[in-house]
Amino acid sequence: MFRSEWLKIRRSVLWLIAAVSPLIASLFGLFGLRLQEGEFPWTETLSLMSVLHAMLFLPLLTGIFAALVCRYEHNGGGWKAMLAMPVSRTQIYVVKFAVVMGLLALTQALLLIALIAVGLSRGFDDPIPWRMLLTSFGGGWIACLPLAALQLFVSIALQSFAAPLAINVILTLPNIMIVNSARYAPYDPWAQPMLAMLPRDSMSYAALNLSAESLYLVVLGSFCVFFAAGWRYFVRKAV
Amino acid sequence: MTTKSEIIVATDGLTKRLGGRTVVNGVNLAIGRGDIYGFLGPNGAGKTTTIRMLLGLARPTSGHIRIFDKDIRKERLAILRKVGSLVEYPSYYGHLNATENLEAVRRLLGAPKSRIDEVLAIVRLTQEARRPVKGFSLGMKQRLGIATALLGNPELLVLDEPTNGLDPAGIQEIRELIKSLPRTSGVTILISSHLLSEVEQMATRVGIIAKGELIYQDGIERLREQAQGRIRLGVSDPEAAWQLLLSYGYPAEWDRTKLTVGQADDRTIAGIVSRLVQSDFQVYRVEEEHASLESIFLQMTGSEASL
Repeated sequence: MFRSEWLKIRRSVLWLIAAVSPLIASLFGLFGLRLQEGEFPWTETLSLMSVLHAMLFLPLLTGIFAALVCRYEHNGGGWKAMLAMPVSRTQIYVVKFAVVMGLLALTQALLLIALIAVGLSRGFDDPIPWRMLLTSFGGGWIACLPLAALQLFVSIALQSFAAPLAINVILTLPNIMIVNSARYAPYDPWAQPMLAMLPRDSMSYAALNLSAESLYLVVLGSFCVFFAAGWRYFVRKAV
Repeated sequence: MTTKSEIIVATDGLTKRLGGRTVVNGVNLAIGRGDIYGFLGPNGAGKTTTIRMLLGLARPTSGHIRIFDKDIRKERLAILRKVGSLVEYPSYYGHLNATENLEAVRRLLGAPKSRIDEVLAIVRLTQEARRPVKGFSLGMKQRLGIATALLGNPELLVLDEPTNGLDPAGIQEIRELIKSLPRTSGVTILISSHLLSEVEQMATRVGIIAKGELIYQDGIERLREQAQGRIRLGVSDPEAAWQLLLSYGYPAEWDRTKLTVGQADDRTIAGIVSRLVQSDFQVYRVEEEHASLESIFLQMTGSEASL
């Protein structure tokens, strides 16, 4: 099942898209960084490089990946053919979801590599703070779970490629304001990647002071709801 | 022909309502092992909906489906393992080439790798195997669809309108292809079409569906029998002649325009003619009338038949 999916995405534009955000972030890191004495260079670089990524690109990419893994099924009548094969619908759904999360993991990994490359090329004295970096990137990835679930649901339900993306953009853009709100940000799944990725002490966004526990509760809670809804829909869907 | 053999597709009162409209209504299909079952009906009669239910793609509103003597609701995967299908238009991944398309399916089915070359050869796409499917003509996509359906060595092959949208050459090609499929392995084929002429030469059994109801299901021979000629008699005062013939026990029919007798051998015809002459009717013509299968089909399915 995975291997069949792999074959379908191997020759796809997905790979290029996965690299876009890390590339942009590297440019930020290379040319935008102005370090002052006494700061933690890695933390600064991480916030600089991940702010745009976590606020916009990561949620948007989630939607794009979800839409793309459904696109070739919608286009060529693939759902019909695949569902008439001896594979369970649950299995198909889980694999599609896993592929989306896998692509997001790849994006995160590329960004992490870019960050380390930037750091090394600028010759930071401090050792690489692996613990902080991995928490940040891993947390950002986990925070994408509910988004991926919802976007997969929408992408499966809608034939069109653009509609799920439009929904995604509409839900993502408010991030720019909402992350400033200690009141709402913790409950907006779209804001979670940002809250999870940015280093706690570097930015003055109010919501960043919240505890990790509450973030993960929101993330996992909304993930369960979205995933269950999407799965239930797919298992019953008539094609 | 094979009605007495094992029934491998059986539906019982299969019904599907979509948005308040009954699309399929109480259909009882019976397809025996080894049959080539022509599933006929005008566009919109419920063929595709029925087939989608057979494949578990849509749920029946009521009724049961048993394939290989298993209930589709309980053992869908076990059934689908032995079924190859092509529904409506072929499914493909345009950015992959033919071999990759088949490989994506093969990995789901777990068929041996060598099977890909085999099915490509069957549908004569070996030459085009490395081209992206995007650039295929509809006929080639259709052939690739059939190759995909054959990939898992199915016991039951379901082809929904495999010639839909093709030009006459393409139709001919697909028909030849289906006829050439190995019949020795005992594969059962369900092929739907809105054209009787298309399946007439290959089907052993025919089911005709119109407005969601199965209005005919029997061997193709029975349909042919119905299509066989009647003898038309041109006589003076045909209504009186009709009553005379009936009184002598001849199977005459009078529909207010023409007097006909059904299947009758030479002696019967001679008897009829001499009886008419003796009773002072003038006999103008005795001629054979051929009803085409197509006209019977049109009669059964009503005027909306798309031809």
